Amino acid sequence: MTNSALEVKGLSKAYGEKSVLEDLSFSAALNDFSVICGKPGNGKSVLVRTIMGLEEIDAGQIFVRGVDVTNADPGSRDIGYIPQSFALYPHFSVRENIEYPLSLIKASAEVKAEAVERVSELLKITDLLNKKPVELSGGQKQRVAIARGLSKSTDVYVLDDPLVGLDFKLRERLIEDLRLTQEKLKVAFVYITSDPLEALQLAKTVLILAHGKIVQQGPLVDVYDTPLSLPAMTTLGFPEANVVSGSISGSTFKSAIFDAQVDITGNHTTAIAGIRPEGLLVGEHPGTISVGAKLTLMENLGSEFAAYVDVKGTQLVTVISRTDSESIKALESGNLTISIKPEAITLFDSVSEKKIGKGVSRV
Amino acid sequence: MSTTTVMKPSRRKGPISFLTILGWFTAILFFLPIAWIISTALKPKNTVLDIPPKFVFMPTFQNLVDAVSFSNTLQYFVHSAIYSFTSVFLAIFVAFLASYSFSRFKPAGTDFLMFLLLSTRFVPAAAFVIPFFQLFNVLKLKDSFLGLIIFYTMFSIPFSVWILKGFMDGVSTKFDETGMVYGASRWHIMFKVVLPQVRSGLVAAFVFNIIFVWNEFLFNFQLGGLKTYGIPVGLFTSITKGGQVDWSFVASIGTLYVMPLALVIFFFQKYLLVGLTFGTVRGEV
Repeated sequence: MTNSALEVKGLSKAYGEKSVLEDLSFSAALNDFSVICGKPGNGKSVLVRTIMGLEEIDAGQIFVRGVDVTNADPGSRDIGYIPQSFALYPHFSVRENIEYPLSLIKASAEVKAEAVERVSELLKITDLLNKKPVELSGGQKQRVAIARGLSKSTDVYVLDDPLVGLDFKLRERLIEDLRLTQEKLKVAFVYITSDPLEALQLAKTVLILAHGKIVQQGPLVDVYDTPLSLPAMTTLGFPEANVVSGSISGSTFKSAIFDAQVDITGNHTTAIAGIRPEGLLVGEHPGTISVGAKLTLMENLGSEFAAYVDVKGTQLVTVISRTDSESIKALESGNLTISIKPEAITLFDSVSEKKIGKGVSRV
Repeated sequence: MSTTTVMKPSRRKGPISFLTILGWFTAILFFLPIAWIISTALKPKNTVLDIPPKFVFMPTFQNLVDAVSFSNTLQYFVHSAIYSFTSVFLAIFVAFLASYSFSRFKPAGTDFLMFLLLSTRFVPAAAFVIPFFQLFNVLKLKDSFLGLIIFYTMFSIPFSVWILKGFMDGVSTKFDETGMVYGASRWHIMFKVVLPQVRSGLVAAFVFNIIFVWNEFLFNFQLGGLKTYGIPVGLFTSITKGGQVDWSFVASIGTLYVMPLALVIFFFQKYLLVGLTFGTVRGEV
């Protein structure tokens, strides 16, 4: 027995020789917004399908509200589901689509009307109820799909990358809506995405999916600040963290582009250093490691720029504020110095990719 | 402020091109036999064989009335309607289930099975006639609606499965899965979720098969009998009533015979295109 809303234990799934999920475990609590974030090709869709019961598993157990549903029919798991591609029934009106999960359990007309009113107000789609899906825009369709997923009152919801392919503004709005919805309903939302920004914006708890496993689970800030493995660091964060390989000699990490003092546990001869973009500064700063660099690309992110620089053949990325005119001027000058904050360096084992140490501040 | 006027797409106007004329000419050429049948049915009996033929005449419905009241004519129509519609409806029901299964469960060797299914149509019908005749005699199915319906259902299934599978493949399995997650049964998903989305495929399969069965002569002649002959056979056996060919009679029966199909095709012609392309031009409907 367990108190989690959703718990997965030792889940494995392979297609022929190809293992997709391997001994994967995690749990999602009630009244929590859990985001499972993984790069494309890491088994997100398969994980969703196994949780929903649409795919048989090779090993492991799945619990919903503490009940083992490993071999239960999809319909009997009582999980609210919002599929990736809206999958709105084209021959139903918006209202009929939203009512559909309730119609299947033969709910009374009053219950259905009440549910439609509740969710359509929540998602601001009351004026669309009599339309057919074909008359809706992409964002409206997604809202309807979310409304349908929420119409049957339950306490566990799985959202399969519901915002993929929507335009930016719409995503921002829906992200806000989803967060508020979860807070209002005080239920378990398990949200699967490949977009680190969505994960950062939505998650209370974040779960990193890599190599068919949940490699780290915890409060968003903890996972972001203290990644316990290289995939945890590179999956969560935008732009993606910088990765530099090198060797260890004593308490020094040596790479082709910089050397740094590190605090390391265990015996290692090689290591991989991960540095988030905000760990790099433009220009010389006290207490940092300075390297000469060449600007290769400036990416405009709105309030900030992502600056891609070349340091002796290695591509690094840093973010600078739009108002930081000094750094922008330095970037444009061509003759550039990049400073690495030693405390921003996290060291990982070259083979297991697990965290083995950190950079030591020079001050 | 821009003053550009937005042109609505419209039919191209201007001089009629040579190709348009050629198209019309060809269409009329193909329609001539039908026009001849209908005009002959409406001509007074004594002017039918006039040379040169009369194009302007006072139409009469006497031939049609005569044809309908002649011995078994009405019965032939009833027989045709019974076995054609029943077998095609049955075939489409079976094909719907089969194509759902092919499309969703993809049993091992689906492609080969689909090929095998259609292979019954490779062999000329004449090769089947004698075996079927013997089989029907042994099973005492000759001259029975049950026998004819079984035969025509069997004959209509393969093509229907082909048409419907194309349509089913076009309906995302996401619909099935979403339904299942919400607790729908497979049966519910098939009939309430998928069926409404392949409606044009069902109509296309219906139209194609009804054309075939309605026109089928050989097997109705061999496997049927006086209790079950349809119009094609009825027309054939009554053609020489009174010792010589009665063209007014032939044309009248022909006109009545062609009507139901002409109406079906006229009202459902938009589905024929999607049917012919196995659902790949769904947007056209």
